[in-house]
Amino acid sequence: MGMGSCELMAKPRGLPLGQLSGRARALLSAVCGCRAVQLLPLLVLVVAVQACRSEAARPDNASAGLRRGGSLVASVRGEPRSFSRLAARDTTTQLVSDLTQAKLVRVNRVTDEVEPWLAERWTRSDDGRRYTLTLREGVAFSDGQPFTADDVVFTFRAIYDERTGSALADSMTANGRRIAVRAVDPHTVELIFAEPFAAGVRLLDNLPILPQHVLGPALDSGTLASAWGLSTPPSSVVGLGPFVLAAYEPGQRLVFDRNPKYFRKASDGSALPYLDRLTLEIVPDQNAELLRLEAGQIDMMMAEIAPEAYAPLKRAADAGRVTLVDAGVGYTANSLWFNLKPGAFAGDSRAGWLQRDELRQAISLAVDRKTFSDTVYLGAAAPAYGPITEANRKWMWAGQPNTPHNPEAAKQLLVRLAPSGGMRFTLLTQKGRADLERGAAAIRDALQPLGVTVDVAALDVSALVERFTSGRFEAVYFSAIATDTDPALNPDFWFSFGSAHLWNIAQKTPATAWERQIDELMARQIASPDDLERKRIFDEVQRVFAEHVPVVYFAAPRIYVAYSSRVLNASPAVTRPQLLWSAETLAVAH
Amino acid sequence: MLLYFTRRLAFALFLVFAVSSASLLLTKLAPGDYATESLGMEAHRESIELARTRFGLDRSIGAQYGDWLTRAARLDFGRSLLYDRPVRELIPERAANTAVLAVTALVLATLIGLPLGVLTGSRRGPLGSIIRAASLTLLSTPPLITSLLMIFLAARTGWLPIAGMRSAGVPSAGFSVDLVQHLVVPALALALPMAAMFERLQSQATGDVLGEPFVLATRARGVPWSRIVWRDALKPALRSVASIYGLVVGTLLSGSFVVEVVTSWPGLGRLMLDALRARDIYLVVGCAGAGAVFVAAGTLLSDVALAWVDPRSGR
Repeated sequence: MGMGSCELMAKPRGLPLGQLSGRARALLSAVCGCRAVQLLPLLVLVVAVQACRSEAARPDNASAGLRRGGSLVASVRGEPRSFSRLAARDTTTQLVSDLTQAKLVRVNRVTDEVEPWLAERWTRSDDGRRYTLTLREGVAFSDGQPFTADDVVFTFRAIYDERTGSALADSMTANGRRIAVRAVDPHTVELIFAEPFAAGVRLLDNLPILPQHVLGPALDSGTLASAWGLSTPPSSVVGLGPFVLAAYEPGQRLVFDRNPKYFRKASDGSALPYLDRLTLEIVPDQNAELLRLEAGQIDMMMAEIAPEAYAPLKRAADAGRVTLVDAGVGYTANSLWFNLKPGAFAGDSRAGWLQRDELRQAISLAVDRKTFSDTVYLGAAAPAYGPITEANRKWMWAGQPNTPHNPEAAKQLLVRLAPSGGMRFTLLTQKGRADLERGAAAIRDALQPLGVTVDVAALDVSALVERFTSGRFEAVYFSAIATDTDPALNPDFWFSFGSAHLWNIAQKTPATAWERQIDELMARQIASPDDLERKRIFDEVQRVFAEHVPVVYFAAPRIYVAYSSRVLNASPAVTRPQLLWSAETLAVAH
Repeated sequence: MLLYFTRRLAFALFLVFAVSSASLLLTKLAPGDYATESLGMEAHRESIELARTRFGLDRSIGAQYGDWLTRAARLDFGRSLLYDRPVRELIPERAANTAVLAVTALVLATLIGLPLGVLTGSRRGPLGSIIRAASLTLLSTPPLITSLLMIFLAARTGWLPIAGMRSAGVPSAGFSVDLVQHLVVPALALALPMAAMFERLQSQATGDVLGEPFVLATRARGVPWSRIVWRDALKPALRSVASIYGLVVGTLLSGSFVVEVVTSWPGLGRLMLDALRARDIYLVVGCAGAGAVFVAAGTLLSDVALAWVDPRSGR
């Protein structure tokens, strides 16, 4: 890899006639005449040189139509909280980290496959606990300092340091246990898991590798938490990513310039990124964002477009001003769950039915998912019946029951739960999120004819999260996004002790037999080195989940992305950032 | 007069203190804090508690308030958790941007609204009816709608930038043509409803003043009607508008918050919104206090303007 086609063509192998067999020479002489045959290598060489010159005239082409240079403007909704991924988890901070830092491996957002990145290859031990990663050689940070295994070890030290209080510490664990890391040599690291961990290096897609030579003193002095804050001079933010932070204008924009030391190359060997400059404009209002995209003042948005924005953008696409792409069904469907903590409704007359499986089964039967999709997503959604949507083909259980729309069956279940009727509960959702508010209203409207009164209360997101993490709620309709498609990397949702086990968070012991069963299955699933076995076990997890329906799903939205017609080589994905996940290979028309 | 202004100043200080205290207490009582906002929903409880201790958010409301009060007496308003800078450095930067927007909007509203009000108050006819209808429409339109409308027009025509304060690469300080271009949309979004309010008030006041006996007497002496309207009747008619200038500054500030978000103007409103979202408690308090300063200053300006147009009110 890395040899240009021109180089290969300039060195034709086996063609010099002196090395051909006598029979071949005889054949060539008969076909072309002695003199022509003798001139053949020269002819080939001349043609090859001409081809190389053509290539040299376009030194920056990686593929047809792509040229290095130019700038691109994208919009983000909010300011970053920090330039350090360790300090904050907001989407803008993550994007800044993705642009300026690099990881050991990368999950391709389109194929969902793990790709070598700073680590060019790895092996796993037979017991599934040790991964040995070979790092690329000749890689340097944006300030020219070489990247070595010590930077990897330092990064792990930094995220686990209690004084840092890193936002990544909890997600960089396997089964709740930290990963031990050691440098075998300057270009080899070994990761040691406490227990077999099948997802393995996929976990590293969350981890930007930090420069020890820049942040080491801050870690040693216990001030890493405040390092790379928003008042940091941009030149101090050193990384291995495709871009370097050039300027930050508070409230207005972040400007990134290409990192001339970036280690990755295009398929033809030319340097990446293609872009000279990438600007993130801070545009808090979605309407302004859309208008700016249509007017050509920005080239893309960081997030997907809302269903109601589809029509005006379709007109702009038809006029050739923007490109509108259906990236596919999303991995996440908004979720409805009840408070299933034992004793949560002690003394409440509704305790007899509010936590029963039959209530959630009835709700699933009562809601027409086609109507739900049309109402909430204007038709741009696929029905969802479980936590794994059809987008996640690798892990979706083929036997997932597709609950039909059957109000009569729902009514029978509800009558059995509360023969005297008068069922009523409060459904919390997030204020200001149109899809969630419409979804909650659709649920309320579907249950009302069946004699169930749903009081929808829309709260600010902080208040909502505080309510359900503290267990002070009856039912919630919210968006709980999985961090990865691999269930092993979402333990907080599946395990009963998890902080994202929505219906009964952080249990000391499983409250129900089926949750204990899921805990045991997931523990096996995470440890098994056999992918087929992992799939089989996870199918069983989904079966148990479908039987007890702790969370009800209705529809998974289709993800539409729009970008300016001058943007080339975009690879739209369903997860955010839909386009900027591959910023290094984005180009613009000149 | 000195006593009058001393009383006004004392009131202004009390207003700023009350607003700042209330905003600190309310932010502290609101669900969530900077630790939960920055670490996210998935963070474990132990991590959140460690972060709270590090940021000093685990102290009681009383302790935090007392600490803030003590430092505020020394004009130290705390450190922003979000920007890791002293609040007293951040506020003036963004307040200056809001002041640029607010003053421009106020000037535009005055220059548009007052003359139109004099026009509609002094004569009848189809022109006056059109202006009145436009004013009523704009008066009913909140700044959110006018700002969306303005950016829509800017997007469709391509004449003006849609959002932001300056283009990339333009120096972030000082006057420039680029700044003026970016100012048009948000300033008009703020100014037009205000201009409509000024027009209505001025029209009513002008009509009332033109019915006074001294106007009749002046006309009887042969003074041209236009001189009566624009010279003799104008000053007394300005009393209505001058008396509400203080209120206008207050609504200007709250209106500018909305406009700043929609048009991405990096002012105090945007800063406060970001601070509220992040639950950056000291920055919220600083922004609220700065807002109160604006209102107090506006009220004082209103009193000065009223004293100028009607010297009787200054006694």
